[in-house]
Amino acid sequence: MQNISKSISIQPLAEERPQALRHLSSIDLGLALSALLLAAIGLATVHSASSEMVVDYFPRQAGWVGIGLVLLVVVMSIDYHVLLDLSVVLYGAGIAGLIAVFFIGVQRGGAVNWIQIGPWQFQPSEFAKLATALFTARYLAGLNMRVLDVRQIVVTIAIVGLPIVLVAIEPDMGGALMFTPLVAGMMLVAGIRIRLLITAAVLALVLGAGVWTFGMHGYQKQRVLTFIYPERDPLGAGYQVRQSKIAVGSGQLMGKGYMQGTQSQLRFLPARHTDFILSVLAEEWGFAGVLAVMSLYAVYITSAARIAMRARDRAGIFLVVGLVSVTCFHVLYNAAMVVGFVPITGIPIPFLSYGGSFTMVNFIATGIMLGVDMRRYVNR
Amino acid sequence: MRVVREHRDDLITRVRILSAVITGILAVIASGFWFVQLVQGSYYRELAENNRLRKLPIKAPRGLIFDRHGRLLVENIPSYALMIDRSRATHVDRSLAFAAEALGRPLEELHDVMRRYAGTPVFQPVLLAENLTLSEVARLGVESYEYPEFEVEVQHLRLYRHGGQTASVLGYLGEVTQDEVDRSDGRLQAGDLVGKKGIEQTYDAELRGEDGERVVVVDSRGELLEEYGRKPAVPGKNLTLTIDLDLQQEAAHQLDGPEKVGAIVAMDPRNGEILAMVSSPSYNPNLFAHRLQKNDWQALLDDPNHPLQNRVIQNTYSPGSTFKIIMATGGLTEHVVDAHSRTFCTGSAVYYGRPFRCWKKGGHGSVEAETAIQGSCDVYFYGVGQHLGIDRIAKYARMFGIGRPTGLDIGGEKRGLVPDMEWSLKTRKMPWYPGETISVAIGQGPVLLTPLQMAELTAMVANGGYRVTPHLLKDAAVPPPERVAFDPAALKLVRQGMWDVVNSPSGTAYNSARVDGANVAGKTGTVQVIAQAQRLEAKALPFKYRDHAWFTSFAPLADPQIVITVFAEHGGSGAHTAAPIAQALHAKYFKIDLHPAAR
Repeated sequence: MQNISKSISIQPLAEERPQALRHLSSIDLGLALSALLLAAIGLATVHSASSEMVVDYFPRQAGWVGIGLVLLVVVMSIDYHVLLDLSVVLYGAGIAGLIAVFFIGVQRGGAVNWIQIGPWQFQPSEFAKLATALFTARYLAGLNMRVLDVRQIVVTIAIVGLPIVLVAIEPDMGGALMFTPLVAGMMLVAGIRIRLLITAAVLALVLGAGVWTFGMHGYQKQRVLTFIYPERDPLGAGYQVRQSKIAVGSGQLMGKGYMQGTQSQLRFLPARHTDFILSVLAEEWGFAGVLAVMSLYAVYITSAARIAMRARDRAGIFLVVGLVSVTCFHVLYNAAMVVGFVPITGIPIPFLSYGGSFTMVNFIATGIMLGVDMRRYVNR
Repeated sequence: MRVVREHRDDLITRVRILSAVITGILAVIASGFWFVQLVQGSYYRELAENNRLRKLPIKAPRGLIFDRHGRLLVENIPSYALMIDRSRATHVDRSLAFAAEALGRPLEELHDVMRRYAGTPVFQPVLLAENLTLSEVARLGVESYEYPEFEVEVQHLRLYRHGGQTASVLGYLGEVTQDEVDRSDGRLQAGDLVGKKGIEQTYDAELRGEDGERVVVVDSRGELLEEYGRKPAVPGKNLTLTIDLDLQQEAAHQLDGPEKVGAIVAMDPRNGEILAMVSSPSYNPNLFAHRLQKNDWQALLDDPNHPLQNRVIQNTYSPGSTFKIIMATGGLTEHVVDAHSRTFCTGSAVYYGRPFRCWKKGGHGSVEAETAIQGSCDVYFYGVGQHLGIDRIAKYARMFGIGRPTGLDIGGEKRGLVPDMEWSLKTRKMPWYPGETISVAIGQGPVLLTPLQMAELTAMVANGGYRVTPHLLKDAAVPPPERVAFDPAALKLVRQGMWDVVNSPSGTAYNSARVDGANVAGKTGTVQVIAQAQRLEAKALPFKYRDHAWFTSFAPLADPQIVITVFAEHGGSGAHTAAPIAQALHAKYFKIDLHPAAR
């Protein structure tokens, strides 16, 4: 058994600190600017999407973005090794938050996944995701293997599995699903034998069948079935997919113009300020708008990959990979859902969708990645 | 020290591969957008513009409400309403002129309605007129080809079978406010009707059910082509109340008429079930079923007797001599007097250099606890008050529930007021004068309580000192009865004294509250509205200067099953006005004929 904390070799910490802020100029502009631009587009679209609603979500979302930016700067200025050192505590707090949900949680649409403190409501699973990324990165950074052995794979899965199980029994399957790219991305980078990958795939299939038979709620099965046969439920998920496709398709090349989307303004689109915000954008700005947003995500993702590749140490690489994997999955799944490629589940799209906890976590993740990048020259 | 091999190159290669794969997937999804937006774009554009899916609500029928014996109190009746879809009208003014003519309503009224909806999207049908007659519906049907913008919608209207008689219990429905919409978490929409008062308000969520919807395919003219799907409505839950309709109607009848202002509560002292609850004057909730004609509303608001106020819970009054129930229980429990302590009443007594009169000019002579209650002797209770002191009086008033809501399951309860030294300093910014204690001892000071609190305290006397929670819903989740620390012997003596009030020839309500066979026990109270000196000819006083009358009672003495509290605002005296009403209600409850000889 290796001693984890000792094997992260980060001796030059002390001499590095004063240099950290001097490297402000070395902020990765690709990552920072794409995030900012996406958030700005998100704000405009949230305003349009909620213009026919009782509440205009624009001011609230603007508030979240503001708080997110502050958190970004704060996190960026902390050395990520300090965060990794704290990761055990943060992971523990994250798990405690998920457990607390069962006692003091607030129900929202089927799942108890919110905690209310005074006027503030937040989703512990969003923050647990961050803590889990940190803790897993710390564990994997300490291993010095070309590929992971079975025992290490089991430990990694256990670290991520605990919050997954807790979120799944809330029950928030979409939220639980969001942890999987974390473990998948980091383990793929850490190295897994092809033989093991195939075994895992087979296992996942068997497990999936088991979950389908025993572990899924009626409404969840319904959604999957509706995805395969949309006529099954014309009022529920089938209706949503159909309305979303009409919105996206009718946007054509140049869109109908800002605030002019009939699908969203006529309230045909469900959850149009959160999960289906991309449909609103596609309707009002057309394929041109979609392409612009997709390019920004591509810039964000490749910038993150660049940061990972030039990071100072294993810890930095894993940290960035874990964080960006989650973001990627959100983007890919949400975009695919909006055009009807995958079943509908409550997965928002980073920087565009309305949501307090979600927006903050995306900015914090960006801040951590920028922080990793700023400290890349030290000790190399 | 071990050399750390970081396998950096391996990691970087894998990151590169992973990032390429992800970018690839992103490109695939982008091409999905390209396919839907550019290849199929015109198809979807046409779908969006012409062949629209429209969601039509299916309203859930609101739950019915029954009395404790399953008799229907509220039902739903169909009613026809006229909706207009402005986006389909060639000329809205022309449409309105036609509607005004067909309905025989002033054109200006319809214009007013349209102005109210000026801010809503034009394609959203709005409610133009309600309560259409069948012949009006037929008239519109004949012209429907010329005026496709009109649609007649069948609505469910609430019908309160007993009108004003049950209004203080049931409440009424009204259009939801923006504030209520915001707080409902998507459950309510603008234009919905929600409970505004009483049971309709408290149990709105249960009664409401869940609206369903129909999705239909319509063509560019808005004509229905086919049904795309349907989600049935979930009807609201039916509720059974603790109310006994017979007793409720009798109580309403007793307070019906001009200059009959007041409140009646009947309650089961064993479990807190409210058997009847009436506030007078009342209002007809059926007027509110339609979105309310303006002048009806104004009339209710302008009425000097405030019919919309539920006097049972929303008004507080001075208790008058009924407060002696609390004084006797407190005095005996604290042993400042015992059952046989005697006082000689000469018709007045002097405290702090000031004479305090007894209501009985000639005096009661020698009285002890039981006879003091029976004759409502002021002088006896002045003495008890002086010995207890204001803070101990306040303690017992609070133990009997004054100063806090009883927990009734309809909202808006007042707390009442229990004065003590701290209250005086804090609220009045002046010390408590000992002389005030003497006034409070006979219920004439700043003490205030609601008629429901009076019933609650009477129930505690009747059931041997248990706090029960008054409630109107038969299977309401109420806390179990809670024991309050009164001396049981004191309560027994108070019950006996109250029995004497009604059944002993020298009792204050002898003849006016006795029901042979029911063993009624009670206490009268009369609250002065203007000072003694000014009120020489009580009968000739204008209504608003007359005294308030209380009578609170229970029966039968040995095993109390019902508490009846009557409050008559400006009714005159407790014995003459309030007690006979309670008498009639006890007789009704126990099915006893009060005047067998007259038959």
